[in-house]
Amino acid sequence: MTLSVDGQHIDFQTGDSAAIAVLRHGQHPGSGGALCLAGDCGNCVAEVDGTAFVRTCQVAATDTMTIRRHPAVGGPPIAALGSNVTRDTFEPIGVAHEVADLVVVGAGDSGTAAAVAASDGGRLVTVLDAVDGNEVVGIYGGPTVVVRTVSGLRHIRASDVVVATGAAELHPVCEGSMLRGIYTPNAARKLRDAGVDLGNLVLLGGTEADLPGRHVEGQLVSFVGDGSVMAVITEDTAGNQDAHPCDSVVVGVGFSPRDLLSRMTNDEHVTVVGPAAQRFNLPDCPSAGVVCPCSKTTIEDLDAVWDRGFTELELVKRASLAGTGTCQGGVCGPYLRAFVSARSGSTPDPFTARPASRQITLREAGASAYAEPFRRTALHAENLAAGGQLDRFGNWWRPWNYGDHLGEYHAVRNAVSLGDVSTLGKMIVDGPDSIELLERLYPTTVADIRPGRSRYVLLLNERGHIIDDGMICRESETRFVLSFTSGGAANAESFVRDWAETWALDVRVLDRTMSLAAINVTGPRSGELLERVGVVNPPKFLQHRHDVVANIPCHIMRLSFTGEASFELHHAVDRSAELWRELMAAGADMGIKPHGLQTLFGLRLEKGHIIIGMDTELDTTPRRVDMDWAVKMSKPDFIGRQALERTAKLADQRRLHAFTMEGEAPTEGTPIIVDGQIHGHVTSSFTSPTLGHAVMLGWLKKGALLDGEPITHVLIGGRAAVVAQAPFFDREGTRARV
Amino acid sequence: MPEFEILSGYRMVSSIDDIETVASTTTGLALRFAPDDLFVIGDTRPIASDPYAIVEQEAGFVGMSFTLDAFAAHVVGHIDWAIPVERPALAQGLVAGVPAKIWLTEDGALLITNGAYADELGARIHE
Repeated sequence: MTLSVDGQHIDFQTGDSAAIAVLRHGQHPGSGGALCLAGDCGNCVAEVDGTAFVRTCQVAATDTMTIRRHPAVGGPPIAALGSNVTRDTFEPIGVAHEVADLVVVGAGDSGTAAAVAASDGGRLVTVLDAVDGNEVVGIYGGPTVVVRTVSGLRHIRASDVVVATGAAELHPVCEGSMLRGIYTPNAARKLRDAGVDLGNLVLLGGTEADLPGRHVEGQLVSFVGDGSVMAVITEDTAGNQDAHPCDSVVVGVGFSPRDLLSRMTNDEHVTVVGPAAQRFNLPDCPSAGVVCPCSKTTIEDLDAVWDRGFTELELVKRASLAGTGTCQGGVCGPYLRAFVSARSGSTPDPFTARPASRQITLREAGASAYAEPFRRTALHAENLAAGGQLDRFGNWWRPWNYGDHLGEYHAVRNAVSLGDVSTLGKMIVDGPDSIELLERLYPTTVADIRPGRSRYVLLLNERGHIIDDGMICRESETRFVLSFTSGGAANAESFVRDWAETWALDVRVLDRTMSLAAINVTGPRSGELLERVGVVNPPKFLQHRHDVVANIPCHIMRLSFTGEASFELHHAVDRSAELWRELMAAGADMGIKPHGLQTLFGLRLEKGHIIIGMDTELDTTPRRVDMDWAVKMSKPDFIGRQALERTAKLADQRRLHAFTMEGEAPTEGTPIIVDGQIHGHVTSSFTSPTLGHAVMLGWLKKGALLDGEPITHVLIGGRAAVVAQAPFFDREGTRARV
Repeated sequence: MPEFEILSGYRMVSSIDDIETVASTTTGLALRFAPDDLFVIGDTRPIASDPYAIVEQEAGFVGMSFTLDAFAAHVVGHIDWAIPVERPALAQGLVAGVPAKIWLTEDGALLITNGAYADELGARIHE
């Protein structure tokens, strides 16, 4: 029986682990360092059959096994996707969801004792141990135990969990401790039992009486060698040092509780028993050597981070990366605590542990994880039937265009068009405190909106930054309908609910985003189309009312994002396809077309309307986008008011500007260059069919001067552009009000 | 394997007392999504005593009915949270990564989601 190690075929014996098979041939399964052969350290990890970071001491050698050692420095190379990729490569790993009464992790002496006692007490006990093919890699609150098996993962929800994982042998840390040929006592026993020849063996410290080798006395000072250990240096109580030539060394330093799993949760239903619960003495703080073999962190590294002020265990860990590698502190944890204890005078508790306790594959990490679901509007089938090219926007599938972007544009500008705007956030607010709530939420006045009228509004956070925009429609003295952007609807809903609760206001809130569809009827002939389907005297600009459209109850809102007369028809999702077809049929002789987002984005840009999240940044205030008009600082209070008042006194760093340019529009994100320097970037761009040139919005540093004069000309994409005024089209806004 | 069907009814957001009264007296299936939020499946419009109650027709949810065996075979494997043991019960959480609700009775289960998610959830549990 042979396996391959870095391309070299070696034979092995029945019962060998991969690590023992390699050691049998006088080699090290990793790059060096003491070996425990118990799955505690990371010194034997290698790539096994294409999977990196496998503890070779924990897998049985097989006849077809291929082992590649990881490089001594840095991570293993990521395998290129090639002809070896099969369907199985991406096949999800199964997850079995189970329920258990009592789970005992560990089938050793303490685990068995705990299981027997619990079983005698009437509990239904499930014992899990890696030896039996059930490797526990995580325990979450609940508690839920995550188990790795050859056939997939098990997620076991247990009433109680007992961690009985025993104790791990400490590794020596000193100069030369990363040489090959150093073993813990139990590792040496396994090698002895497997008949592996360790050559000239020196035994030092602890519990090695049963091992064949030469016992030496004294304190461990260092290991000496060239790749492999050649001698161990000890020191007696008088300070005299001795060198002991050897091929292998066994060092018993002590033990530490193998309690990683128990430290993953504070769940009171997780208990620890046996050696895993024992408090062992910490080792002496080392004066030299690699403390954390996984991250290659030396004692000098620890001193360096300590001197920089990272003087707590958790900070030492984060700053030095010690304890963040393969064994998650299993080897170095006691030494790190000893280090902090020696430096600070007090011994810290072990650091927090988090799943997974050891490397798992990406397929395992992704098991039971699902991709973010994307929503479909009630008009999904209609959009596809009309040739819609759908893409993902704001967690929705939305039509980018219907195959005729220019035709769609002209339908809006010259006739009538339908847009699927079902994705807009929609919410009803009512209650005795509804006005109070909205006055506090929005930076505009709300109380003076008359029933049947609506108002455009920004939504600001406490820092005065724009987080969304939309409309407020007042339906009665206390009832309002709010709309939000498609992408911001979910956050806006949380925002409204959270503040209503925080302020303890008496309001009722109902989100209608996915209960109502919405169709935007837009274009100079949109009113005429509505009259054809039964709407008498359609609402005027910024009016709204409930009416019946083509025999379907709708909430009609007159507004405009396209720059043309527009009516949003909000209606029940189960009637949406019917309404769409009726409108398309009624407008057939008008040249009606549906329009997609590509057209909508261009139309609104011609009008200079911003899109939140596209033209705004995380710290965009109304002032930066010239929307001070949407903020009433005369109000006593609203969210963001204090921040706006404070920042109004500060110089602005940048502003959103309008630009024009001859020819085709550059792509969004193109840098804006002034005098050879980048002064901003384009956020929106469109080649206007009506204007015959490119129109853009983009950020420009505020107060940037060129030769002492305000900037009027810039370079965008290597071409000359002019700082302009928005809107670019229909400045007076007469078309929206027709 | 069943398919999703629209659950027509009424949505009511009101005072907790109002919700409790309607939930206990309605002839339709009353699903309490939140203490102040009730979905009543059926044709009867709930009568609210709270003058500020919001009562709206609701067609935004879809449901898929399962026998207990079919639910165990097709849905349970997609749930990574503890399913309530009492019956009847309304559970809410991700099913196959999709926001959903489950109405559990002694005889079966009704898997509910927003219509906007119906195709996605349906495809995932049909896999």
